[in-house]
Amino acid sequence: MFYRRAGIRHTRYQDERQLWPLPFDRRLAILIFLLALAAPFIVDRLYLVSYLLPWIIWSTAALGLNFLMGGAGQIHLGYGAVMAIGAYCSVHMVRAGVPFEIAMIAGGLLSAAVGMIFGAAALRVKGLYLAMATLAMQYIVDFVIIQFPAISGGTQATIQVPRVSFLGVPIVGDRPTYYVALFVCVVVTLFMLNVRRSSFGRALAAVREKDYAAAVIGVNTFRYKLLAFWVSSFIGGVVGSVLAVCYYRAISPDQFHLDLSISLVAMVIVGGLGSVLGSFFGAALILFAPILLNQFVGFLSSEFGLAITSDLRSHLPLMLYGAMIVGFLLWEPLGLAKIYANMRNYFLVWPFRHARQ
Amino acid sequence: MERRTFLTGTAAAALVSQMPITIARAQDKVIKFAMPQDFTKVYTFVTAEYSQGQRDYISLINARGGINGYTIEADVSDHGNDLPRAIEAYERAKTEGAVLIDPLSTPVARALVPRVLEDEINMVTAFSGRSDAADGTAFPYVMPLSPNYWTQAGLLIDYFRQKDGDLNGKKICFVHIDTPFGKEPLPILEKLAEQQGFELVTFPYTPPGNDQSAIWPQVRRARPDWVMFWGAGVGQTTALTEAVRNGMDMSRMSSSVWISESDMEVAGAQDVTGVLKVEPCASGRDPKPIQDILAEVVEPGNGAGPEEKVGTSYYNYGVMITAIIIEGVRKAIEKAPDGPVTGPWLNDGLHSIRDFDADGMIPPVTITPEDHQGGGMARIAHWDGEKFVADTDFFTANQDVVWEEIRKYSEEFKKTGE
Repeated sequence: MFYRRAGIRHTRYQDERQLWPLPFDRRLAILIFLLALAAPFIVDRLYLVSYLLPWIIWSTAALGLNFLMGGAGQIHLGYGAVMAIGAYCSVHMVRAGVPFEIAMIAGGLLSAAVGMIFGAAALRVKGLYLAMATLAMQYIVDFVIIQFPAISGGTQATIQVPRVSFLGVPIVGDRPTYYVALFVCVVVTLFMLNVRRSSFGRALAAVREKDYAAAVIGVNTFRYKLLAFWVSSFIGGVVGSVLAVCYYRAISPDQFHLDLSISLVAMVIVGGLGSVLGSFFGAALILFAPILLNQFVGFLSSEFGLAITSDLRSHLPLMLYGAMIVGFLLWEPLGLAKIYANMRNYFLVWPFRHARQ
Repeated sequence: MERRTFLTGTAAAALVSQMPITIARAQDKVIKFAMPQDFTKVYTFVTAEYSQGQRDYISLINARGGINGYTIEADVSDHGNDLPRAIEAYERAKTEGAVLIDPLSTPVARALVPRVLEDEINMVTAFSGRSDAADGTAFPYVMPLSPNYWTQAGLLIDYFRQKDGDLNGKKICFVHIDTPFGKEPLPILEKLAEQQGFELVTFPYTPPGNDQSAIWPQVRRARPDWVMFWGAGVGQTTALTEAVRNGMDMSRMSSSVWISESDMEVAGAQDVTGVLKVEPCASGRDPKPIQDILAEVVEPGNGAGPEEKVGTSYYNYGVMITAIIIEGVRKAIEKAPDGPVTGPWLNDGLHSIRDFDADGMIPPVTITPEDHQGGGMARIAHWDGEKFVADTDFFTANQDVVWEEIRKYSEEFKKTGE
């Protein structure tokens, strides 16, 4: 009913191959985009700066990682380090007077270069072994940043991000920072949506399914594995610099530790491997579930006089959070994106029961 | 109940829990503090006791009718040392009109510095955060209110000098966690080594420091005259255990403020007799504020946590910092009794604290717009097997070197931090 297909006839190939062949999907995407554009004017400031902004930044990062993990089937446990390289490179460049647009791209390029070197391990090893190789990257990058005061910024290990402008607009205040992050997010999202329809995306899918089978049918696995790491690390580097400039405004090594890498992997898996929409859902769940659960438990204990000790008060949300992750993985191992797809399929033929898709 | 109904219900409840923040509580005589702290992740070794001390002291003040009719409302929550969560808590606190935030976490404090300077909300960074925030001219709204790590290292070195008469030719080993926090005292120690002629040998261990077995035999072989071990949480107890195993002289082992009674229990209370620490305030239950809390808060059953924790080192740190904050509130009310209660209003009060010693519990603290450290006084105490016993009065030392370092970084911050 909602996602109506009746009466929609694609008479040209390009109609069939559109990003969203169904008008309802298309309108929904446009509506969400318009809502995102209007968000600074319609939602409370608190929700803009502490929910929407981190959400789109983390979603962009999850998209970059999802490109590698879901698109090319290569696991990466050091994505936080990739973002750190981009963040540090661009912040140092901005401090040296380079315009932010160039610094952002340069951060992405440096991340891509370093990420590709470590990604080269993927040419030889797979699965858990690749996980270890990328984990090593995380630790090596952490170590290098901490050990070189010129990078980390001396004993205080914090570098302030100077005020910069993006395409002539100074990034000051809540709205410009939000729009810059949204711009990068939209660009990356469009890239992710389109790459699957390109020969590049199909080659990566072949590598993901079985690399030597891909080689047999003529896909140069050497080239595509390295390209996958290159592209994914480039996105990571750019997001790292957006994170530093738009959100943290002061960077220190602990912002990019293993915690960040693990939470990004969690976002990708909980959201749905290879799904663009899933990256957004996953980022929202991993970022906000702890906050909301905490407030929920706090609300219960303060408003209903639930007598619980402060220890339990702070650990109960963690338990609920853990249970929630396990629950999602049990009920829907294919991720939150699959839950949405199930709903969509249900409504596709509603009020009839079965969709064949 | 259907699973779906349950899920919908939970989601609705979670949404409802969001509501109270938009309904402004219209009580005019309330001063709001936000205390999002790390109860669950990295700072667990200190937060529970520290926060208990803070809440008990605030209960004490409120039970006495507040300050000039103003009551203090402290919103304690958990940020899990996670920056997006901490920033969310900060922005929420700002929306609710909090005038002070105490995150008790170095990464969080560092990330919040640009925001608090912009929003003019006071951020307490006691025993955490940037050491150069002692320079109030560069960080008007960042309030360490306590001796920073540079000062603590300087105090220990001066204590060694007092004991040995002269440090020339002595060997001091600095065993530290290999993070920015662990390496922080190095510039001060290097400068003092040059000035006073002692030899400084450093031993970094990898974070989090639960395995230091390779380091301590080297420390023993170096035959140090004094040892400083610098870490937090598990790194500290591991250091003590390894030092005991290697037969180090415990009365020549020393550490920062981050060592507590429970660390000593873990390492073996009797085995570590003699270990020295920097004490920013009196420990135990003897100080008058602690006695007052016991009589007026804990006795009636309003304590914020288990009674046996009252009077532990970290509990007293919480009381100390809150006492200084409340003194700031008092001064602010003296200066402008009708408010309005804002960040700058409280900032003005904090800057007017003169020789406040919380009935002898803490060294006389003076906060000025230039000096946010409060004078940099503390005392050295040793563990006698059951408790920490003060070896010195509250004193300060080597502040010239410390301030040189503070200014070096704060100047840098002023230049580019805009």
